[in-house]
Amino acid sequence: MFSATQRLQNVFGHFTSVFLMLAAAIMLLSYTHWWLEDIWELPMSVRSVEPKILMKYSRRFGGSNNQGKENCKLKVDFDGDLTPLFNWNTKQLFVYLTAEYDGDRPDISNKVIFWDQIITDKKDAVLDYHNLASLYSVYDTTNSFNQRNATIRLEWNIQPYVGWLIYGETVIDGIKTINFPAVEGAKKRKTRSKK
Amino acid sequence: MVSLFNGMSPRGVLAQVMTVGLMVTSAFMFWKGLAVVTNSPSPIVVVLSGSMEPAFQRGDLLFLWNRSPRVNVGDIVVYDIKDKAIPIVHRVMRSHASDRKQLLLTKGDNNPVDDLDLYGYKQNYLDREEEIIGTVRGYLPKIGYVTIFLSENAYVKKILLAGLVVVSLLQRE
Repeated sequence: MFSATQRLQNVFGHFTSVFLMLAAAIMLLSYTHWWLEDIWELPMSVRSVEPKILMKYSRRFGGSNNQGKENCKLKVDFDGDLTPLFNWNTKQLFVYLTAEYDGDRPDISNKVIFWDQIITDKKDAVLDYHNLASLYSVYDTTNSFNQRNATIRLEWNIQPYVGWLIYGETVIDGIKTINFPAVEGAKKRKTRSKK
Repeated sequence: MVSLFNGMSPRGVLAQVMTVGLMVTSAFMFWKGLAVVTNSPSPIVVVLSGSMEPAFQRGDLLFLWNRSPRVNVGDIVVYDIKDKAIPIVHRVMRSHASDRKQLLLTKGDNNPVDDLDLYGYKQNYLDREEEIIGTVRGYLPKIGYVTIFLSENAYVKKILLAGLVVVSLLQRE
């Protein structure tokens, strides 16, 4: 009845249930806290977004030697305070700037990340950027953005110490759409949709 | 082997074997049931690399969900490319979706560049239907390190398994 394996099993079982209860308590309290803080309504003021298009001919930028690809980069000004996203269960905050735009057919939709930032300290959660260069040189599956309009969003993802991941976006005050410019000096190419 | 069951009736031995079989099959059923509910062939995965640090470290346990027909940009997905041994946990950076198909570009938060070099030969995007095993929804830290330890020390796994079987066969109520 009271063998060594039995005792070991009991200790292990007890440890597991204590751990799971603790995790559940941390989760419940922190998620309530986030909910009370109204984290899905945080304002972000976007003052300027300047897109720039360049032709690229390497695979890293979606092109090839004989086929150029329009690559877009942004210069952005924005500020906002994301400190309410931090509490005792926030391991990291992933903030990212996205653009959503249409495709050649009505059923196509595209969404791309231009810039992102990992924030692990509450002190760094007050964002204020001037002339920030986007991290990524973004290209489409087709060869051109065709001077389309795109919707700009600043979204975030909370990675907790324990629990499920939370996603949300800020409420943008200011510039919400951009227009992909034409390539300067380049003649317009026929777009080719890629399989 | 016979001496193991010393003093047990044949019926008792059979009952003991049944109990072990029940344990194994119910664990298997739980795993497969979870796979059906989440629509993912591997609903719980253990992180093996540091490419998503500081979000995920080696040994963290991730719970996946694969019921949504389209994944979102910003989601962390697990993908498995044919001919590549290990599934990878990375974040979706771009999505190009139509009614029929969704193409994705991924990147590890801790990596300087996107995953183009990790994909197959001449492959530029991941296919939602073909290559995504699931989206990361839940997270438990560190617990999965046990499985990393076991799989990297194969003999420990064998000893542990054998020990478990022997103990559960010998155990009497």
